[in-house]
Amino acid sequence: MTYIKWFLIITSWTFVAAFFHYTLPQKDIVRITDTYEKRIDFGENSIFWASADTGNVGSAVNRDIFFIQTKLANSGEVMVYRNEDTGWGWPPYFKFDTTNLQAEASDLKSVAEAPQYAMIKHYGWRNEFLSIFPNAISVEVVDGPDASKGWPILNILILTLFAAVSYFIFIRWRRFRMARIDPTLEEIQDNWDAAGDAVEGGHGRLKQWLNSWRAK
Amino acid sequence: MFALARLLVMGFIVLMIVYVCLSFYSRAVRRGKLKAQWNLEQMDDATKDGDRDDYIQKGLEEYDGSVRRKLILGVYIIPTVLVAVIIYLTNFA
Repeated sequence: MTYIKWFLIITSWTFVAAFFHYTLPQKDIVRITDTYEKRIDFGENSIFWASADTGNVGSAVNRDIFFIQTKLANSGEVMVYRNEDTGWGWPPYFKFDTTNLQAEASDLKSVAEAPQYAMIKHYGWRNEFLSIFPNAISVEVVDGPDASKGWPILNILILTLFAAVSYFIFIRWRRFRMARIDPTLEEIQDNWDAAGDAVEGGHGRLKQWLNSWRAK
Repeated sequence: MFALARLLVMGFIVLMIVYVCLSFYSRAVRRGKLKAQWNLEQMDDATKDGDRDDYIQKGLEEYDGSVRRKLILGVYIIPTVLVAVIIYLTNFA
């Protein structure tokens, strides 16, 4: 029982952590190598794509999506971002300027010999097995590959707030359980034991006979 | 337009629930404070007359017209302002 309990607790907290890791903004220092658009036919990964440009038809089964190809400044690995409106939906970035962002990103394209570094704010994950890409939110020019990303103040604020609310609910729930549920469960247990004793008393001889067959 | 309407309707429903809960909670707190206040006054001056329920009723009516109660409307205002700020920062800053 303890194992199941801990399994459930760890699983649910992993989901919470994954949710925040996916949704909260992160910043990367990159060199933009190219920008392009490509038609995407959404399949089982459709949950990892945002919405069509605000105002367009939202029910189309496929559409063209902007992408920004980059090379990460610190590791030298490639990273490809998608560039989509989040519009009025989830996550609440209220991003409507997708096409403008694509124009800005295209403007910062550079080659390895003459690098121009930029900081891309994004949310989401890159996963090759699901063909999903982080969604770029904004792009700005930075001095070099070691430029400061600044403190993630918003993330700290949101996570602190979430921790405070969770703690508040946990305390309330524990008090409620101690005051209401535990006594009731104990009463049920007591009644059950009492009923069990009564039944056992009635079948004393049957039980004796059954016991006589058991290995001593 | 549909997405905006969905956000507005869902947001309004959620905020309405928060608003109603907060209103009731705040009124209950006020009632408790009035009760304590009455008991305190009674202790100071045993000859003080009047009905406790009347006292609480009067206090609550005063509370109904107060700025403090209207501050609960911030439940609607704060998220709206927050969304406006996010829209500005994401798209125009």
